[in-house]
Amino acid sequence: MKRRSFIKKASIATAGTFLAPYILPSGRLFAAAGDRVVNHVVLVLFAGGVRHQESVDQAYLTYQGANSGNVMRNMFTGAAPSSNLLYTPWNPIQGSSLASQGTFFKELQYAQGPTGHFNGHTAAITGNYTDTGTNLAINPDFPTVFEYYRKHNDPAKSAINSWWLSEGLGPYPALNYSKHGMYGPMYGANYLRPFSTFGNIGLDYLNNGLTLQPDDVGRLNTLKNFFDSNFDKSVSDLPGIINNSTDKEFIHAFLKDVLNRTQNGTVEFPLPNGVPTYEMTGDLINIQYTWEVLKNFHPELTVINTFNLDTCHSDFTGYINLMHKADYGVGWLWNKIQSDPVLQNDTIMICLPDHGRNELPNNIYDANGLRAFDHTTDANSRRVFALIVGPAGKVNQNLVLGSAGNPVGQTIDIVPTIAHILGFYDQIPSGMLPGQILTQAFI
Amino acid sequence: MKNIFLILLFSNILFSSCKKEVLKQTIYDNVYYEVTPVTLYTSNAEKNKQKSSLQYISILFSDLFNQSIPGSDLNNIGEAIVSIGDKGLANQLILERLLTVPAIQIPTATQMQADLDGFISSAYQRFYLRNPTEYEKIYLKNLIQNDSNITPEIVYAAFALSNEYMFY
Repeated sequence: MKRRSFIKKASIATAGTFLAPYILPSGRLFAAAGDRVVNHVVLVLFAGGVRHQESVDQAYLTYQGANSGNVMRNMFTGAAPSSNLLYTPWNPIQGSSLASQGTFFKELQYAQGPTGHFNGHTAAITGNYTDTGTNLAINPDFPTVFEYYRKHNDPAKSAINSWWLSEGLGPYPALNYSKHGMYGPMYGANYLRPFSTFGNIGLDYLNNGLTLQPDDVGRLNTLKNFFDSNFDKSVSDLPGIINNSTDKEFIHAFLKDVLNRTQNGTVEFPLPNGVPTYEMTGDLINIQYTWEVLKNFHPELTVINTFNLDTCHSDFTGYINLMHKADYGVGWLWNKIQSDPVLQNDTIMICLPDHGRNELPNNIYDANGLRAFDHTTDANSRRVFALIVGPAGKVNQNLVLGSAGNPVGQTIDIVPTIAHILGFYDQIPSGMLPGQILTQAFI
Repeated sequence: MKNIFLILLFSNILFSSCKKEVLKQTIYDNVYYEVTPVTLYTSNAEKNKQKSSLQYISILFSDLFNQSIPGSDLNNIGEAIVSIGDKGLANQLILERLLTVPAIQIPTATQMQADLDGFISSAYQRFYLRNPTEYEKIYLKNLIQNDSNITPEIVYAAFALSNEYMFY
């Protein structure tokens, strides 16, 4: 009897050990997918380090001893600078600012960890702060929003429904999945760096390849299946995500099509009419191809970044210029989303910087004699904002929250907020996400 | 002295008998396809390490062009691979591109049909660094003979995208 009792108790204890991590905040073991606010989310990490003063506060040259003004008229409401223009103004593409088309969290905090770009990106994408300072080019410890989305949706979503597009390479390709044991690449997002994929390198090394007709693809697969049947190992542990064969064919066709259209010059540019294409920036290129992904796949979760503003370390004039252009790009993207029958009125776009920049300048002056700013973890570099834009009736319109010294949320709130929008927040195991849902944005 | 001799003799027998003998065959110049000298595996069971992306591309380039990949090409192709999250897809796109480069060392369909046995053996040696088994030879020969639309490009692409090619 004692032995039987011991085995029974041991079995229960073992089962408990395995099941405990999966018990949901609601106390349920398994939960049905929750209600969604909308079916598509686009997170724009308006990154590179954005000082509150020149963005939200519309200070323009105030801290350089001159006039104020709003250089981001697509995102924020406010008059443009009337003099001392450092840039050629592009008329806003938005009739009214994005802030007026949603909820503007004017003051959020990037509360912990160094104000480094990778840390800022990681906190926004994983919903957890990180102190990682070295060995950056590795996948994050905590699961990414893509993995939560793919693992906890019911029915499960394949990778073609989630995309991460970055302006640059470096450590950023590693942000499409984590090295967390319960998640990882099998729940990761598709990743592209359009500047490489569709730029000169892509046109040289990926375009104009052998085109196989559907029958030839069948022949190739027959041969490949025969070869694979005679070998007992598979490449399932290739680094990176692996799409299922159907999605892979779609993405393959998409890449070839977009490469062709890039070569022919028929991919739309996020530029005002009449502005030449040499005005394109890395940020605008990323936005340009994000639209190609959005209109082709209508993914439910897309995360992109801009990054060129980091030039502020040495070039304040360039920083203002690039800020103005990136703002135009965001407005252009929202217009495109609203022109798509699937995405319009069913998409929420969130804009958030990776972190801010210092209050005080460094010792560098640019060609116009303007002071440059770093981001070295002072209080000012922890100030960020969030714009949550979406359909009236779903997202509170023209609502402004927070003020200097009165932050109303944190960077790590973005992942819970996305999980709430897409209806899987309650399925995420408790303890994984320390942030809160930014509920004030939703009706 | 006699004991020492016996111990040495015994040790020699003992250790030499434990040594695994690996058979490797070296093929010198296959004249028809101009394959450079390589050491062949006796069986695909010997392959147990997966190639990295850059190893895959370097080896693929060598196999297709019979020359080492220039450093600039390797860097650029490396960047193209990093820029796409699905590495299998990236490899496929690069392979398709390489198959259209004029300098590629690939037999014509006529040459393939004229000497199917030679083509098959050469392809196995080129991509898998081993000889085909009799079964593989017969199966592949029948497949190609029964479908005149199978081109050398399709066969090469299938080899280069197969699981075995990803290992060494």
